[in-house]
Amino acid sequence: MKLIFIYLIIAALQQQSPASRKPPQTVTPQTYGPELIRAGEARFGAECGFCHGRDTAGGETGPDLTRSTFVAEDARGDKIIPLLRTGRIERGMPAFDLNAADLEAIVAFIHDQKTKGELVAGGRGTVDASDLDTGDAEAGKRYFNGAGTCSSCHSPTGDLAGLATRFRGLPLLQRFLSPTTTRPSPAPAKVTVTTSTGEVTAGSLASRDEFRISLRDASGATRTWLTKEVKIAIDDPVSVHFELLGKYTDSDMHNVYAYLKTLL
Amino acid sequence: MVEDFSLSLRERDVARSATGRGKARDQLVVGPALTLALRAVPLPEGEGGGALMRLSIGMGLLLLISAIALAQGVDPAMLLKPPSDTWPTYHGDYSGQRHSKLTQITPDNVSRLSQIWRWQAGAPQQIKASPILVNGVIYITTPDNLWALEARTGRERWHYVAPKNDAFHIGHRGVAVYKDTVYLTTPDAHLIALNAKDGTVKWNVEIADSNKGFWSTNAPLIVGNHVMVGVSGDFDNVPGQLKSVDADTGKTQWIFYSTPPAGMSDPPSGGATGGQMWMTGTYDPELDLVYVGTGNPTPVLNGEARPGDNPWTCSIVAIRPDTGKLVWGFQASPHDTHDWDAAEVPVLVDGNFNGVPRKMLMQASRNGYFFVLDRTTGKNLLTSPFATVNWAKEIDKDGRPIPDPNKEPKPDGVLVAPNEAGATNYRSPSFDPATGSLIVSAQDGYGIYFFKKEHGAYGWAGADYNLTGRAFLRAIDYQTGKIRWSHPLGDGAAAAGVLTTATGLTFTGDVPGNAMALRTTDGATLWHAQVGRMGNPPVTYQLDGRQFVLLGGGNSLIAFALPQ
Repeated sequence: MKLIFIYLIIAALQQQSPASRKPPQTVTPQTYGPELIRAGEARFGAECGFCHGRDTAGGETGPDLTRSTFVAEDARGDKIIPLLRTGRIERGMPAFDLNAADLEAIVAFIHDQKTKGELVAGGRGTVDASDLDTGDAEAGKRYFNGAGTCSSCHSPTGDLAGLATRFRGLPLLQRFLSPTTTRPSPAPAKVTVTTSTGEVTAGSLASRDEFRISLRDASGATRTWLTKEVKIAIDDPVSVHFELLGKYTDSDMHNVYAYLKTLL
Repeated sequence: MVEDFSLSLRERDVARSATGRGKARDQLVVGPALTLALRAVPLPEGEGGGALMRLSIGMGLLLLISAIALAQGVDPAMLLKPPSDTWPTYHGDYSGQRHSKLTQITPDNVSRLSQIWRWQAGAPQQIKASPILVNGVIYITTPDNLWALEARTGRERWHYVAPKNDAFHIGHRGVAVYKDTVYLTTPDAHLIALNAKDGTVKWNVEIADSNKGFWSTNAPLIVGNHVMVGVSGDFDNVPGQLKSVDADTGKTQWIFYSTPPAGMSDPPSGGATGGQMWMTGTYDPELDLVYVGTGNPTPVLNGEARPGDNPWTCSIVAIRPDTGKLVWGFQASPHDTHDWDAAEVPVLVDGNFNGVPRKMLMQASRNGYFFVLDRTTGKNLLTSPFATVNWAKEIDKDGRPIPDPNKEPKPDGVLVAPNEAGATNYRSPSFDPATGSLIVSAQDGYGIYFFKKEHGAYGWAGADYNLTGRAFLRAIDYQTGKIRWSHPLGDGAAAAGVLTTATGLTFTGDVPGNAMALRTTDGATLWHAQVGRMGNPPVTYQLDGRQFVLLGGGNSLIAFALPQ
């Protein structure tokens, strides 16, 4: 196992690809002792490795932590430890019940890997911005204004002006394909709820399931109703992106990406 | 497949009133065990009836004796026809149908279901396991942890914690029980045999070497004295293996390899490793075949390193339980490059297909296709998508979806449906015999898949990102593959399994954390309760004349029943 791990690091060093998007630099440089890092490697592997990869560079579903802004901004666990304790349930990350020593070791290992990641470009399992440059921006523009129907909601000089300065590389591709699962979240859907007595409340969708709907009204208050007792009208233009995923060819996807990259 | 329990329940009520409520638990449970033994001989019916009769004649007396000595002893005969006051295996019985004949809770009264007790694990880890119920005791697990709870109250009897280890702690499916022993797999791929009554360890054997990248979440399958234990491991290039150990001693009986280890000359897997059998299989006692789904090949996203179909990864395999020999295999995803394990439950159903009586096997597979096979031969009867798919260029003459090379992972990415989480996953489906529907938790989802040479040929060997998905509970008509109804469960993928009952109820959970009961004929919601996210398949059983539905919400286990 150890040998394999070392081999992977060597392989990554040998096979550097041009990383046009550098990983975010750690804000507060921090170092840890080798024993703590080793302990952290074991605990991280067991608790976090399935989703984030045993080397923190991404596994099933979880992001690459060596390229995480959140990790870059953490100082000795001040952000990571509270997150581990609460989880990010809505994004599929559970809460962890670990003792202080385990938490400290995990933080040490993540930062050690992050530091190594800043030295090694194009590591295992990463996607570089240059990898995505296979599309035709002109064809993308035609699709944007034509078959893709993007221009019915978006404008390159309006809401999308400067888009490519806010998102680059894979995050830009993800933003275009599925805005709701990227950060910052797009504007929430507009909701109008009408009660049986005729009271009408409008606001932004806060949460919704089959049985309850919550919105944030103009005053900022959250109000909740049982769905079976009210009439609900939802204006959610962003949801169109889901339907569009079934229409894009891979060429369309790469061409539109190339076009969006020009919106500086 | 499950016996009509009405008689045995009435007889147990008599036993209860004779002994008095709440005392002498062993006497209470002797009732149904005796009833089973007596009824089993003259009244074999339904699937497996013939086998049962043959077995019963030989074992009737033995069963009677063991019933008296061991109360509700879990033995081969009991596992063939589990009594209604038990849920003795991961699927409830060998068929994997997860369908109960219990009738107390109906579409008319289900809205009155109330929480009877709630037990919370002492750790925040979500419960993904199926509860196992034997002798009035529930066994529930999370990685490293096994609890024994009183089924009537949820009170903890004992708690076992496995030795600390550093393998993946990603989830756990549950235990197996046989005679007076509980079998627990651990993250570091050990199998531990514990005394059912107090949780003390009888023995502990290594199933696979976790230092090589194996781990286990598996609820073992027990047939005869074979305890079949699966492992996981697709972050490393390790062979796919299912190991059978002796139920009494833990001694290895055989190992079935879905991909051969170096040096073995089994069917060529084209250089692929992987194909782990991490989910609990099903069993047909008449054919004496165990059916197991196999996982994805490794390296996972790099298909170039392993040309060809890579048998028997992403397959359903039929294995002889006494020898571990392969009888047939069917590949749900030849040459998979998207992490779509075909580990989902192979559900066994006897019925007509195109007017011909068949012994069938059904699987709603993670790759988005629903398969019906003849389980005697492995021959395909039907292949039909049940969720959004865009990765196959054709269905070949053998019923296998053939991957479109243009949808294999690429340096600049490809847009693929389903995403890596799959069109469904380990969460159990349920088969409803009345409507002929396989009811499955499905997802229409998309992901982007990348592979470039730098990603190498070891372990994951690529990168993929789930974009988004929408969850549905879908009822699939097994004769045609058509979707009878599709009930939205929210954005993302729901994590709950499914349970159906003979009164036409379907239990499951949605993404925002509601447990719900739907009408099986049309998917209409009849009951719901906010319980936290359900991560496991619900079970049902009848105790003291009362039907319980037991399900997991977050790190809690919650028992529901009608008010008395």
